[in-house]
Amino acid sequence: MEIQSAVYSIIIVTLFMALLLVYINRKLVKFDPLSRPTGIVLLVIMYAQMIDNMVRSKTNEKVAKYLTPYIMTVAAYIFLANISGLFSLEPPTSNYSVTLALGAITCILIEVFSFICRGPKGYLKSWFEPFAPFVVMNLMSKFSTLLSLSLRLFGNIISGSILMTVIYSMLGNISKSIPFIGEFNIVGVAVAPVLHFYFDLFSGVMQAFIFITLTVSFIGKELPEEK
Amino acid sequence: MEKALMAFAAALCVCGGCVTGIMEGKVAVQAVESIGKNPDAADKIQSMAIIGAAISETCAIYCLLVAFLIIFVLGA
Repeated sequence: MEIQSAVYSIIIVTLFMALLLVYINRKLVKFDPLSRPTGIVLLVIMYAQMIDNMVRSKTNEKVAKYLTPYIMTVAAYIFLANISGLFSLEPPTSNYSVTLALGAITCILIEVFSFICRGPKGYLKSWFEPFAPFVVMNLMSKFSTLLSLSLRLFGNIISGSILMTVIYSMLGNISKSIPFIGEFNIVGVAVAPVLHFYFDLFSGVMQAFIFITLTVSFIGKELPEEK
Repeated sequence: MEKALMAFAAALCVCGGCVTGIMEGKVAVQAVESIGKNPDAADKIQSMAIIGAAISETCAIYCLLVAFLIIFVLGA
């Protein structure tokens, strides 16, 4: 069986994230709660508060307790995976298997939280709402959630990376017309950073944010109304 | 000849994205307008606008995907 090239970047990103989490855990254990947080501790606290507020505003307390850690992890992973193009890795999210797995996790979570909050009877009933023949439509809508979530992330990232490849080869051809130093892609060095900023950093942050926003609001939509 | 037709088909596919672009701009315009009218609801409007833009973007992504399929699967 042939190993896809994205496998190595998936392993590298996962290892980097594991090391980062171990490092942050060490810092947090040593951290004195009465002192002022600085550096990476402050960053982590702000990040956790932001995600926690977002999850709490769209779901209820019971769900937020279990959902927040997952959302924090998945947002950090998607962000790291999207910006790994900056370090000349192939972004793991430009492999459809990765985004399909992330979308499948979201879909399973939607079903699980719906089951927990409605109970077995209410959950079964929700498949046949508003009346019985709609079971086909409900099934299709669950499937299309998975498809659109995974394809959105995949399409955005792979279009960015393909555009960067095309632009690099175009700039390489242009810089070949410069005498003496043309073999080195000198126009690319001047033009590419702006494009990297948009396609890797901005698009990466936006896609991670959109993915978690959609995940949280899809889960919040499935929950029964509460006062 | 076949390759030229495939390139043409892929280019035609991506044309579906232009309507998405206009409409996504419309989402942003409406969001800015309603934040101007009601600044207190900015947080809610922002998240709704992002969700709306993201969902309407799906169409453009499918267009792009079909174009990729034409180029890399049929053309290869």
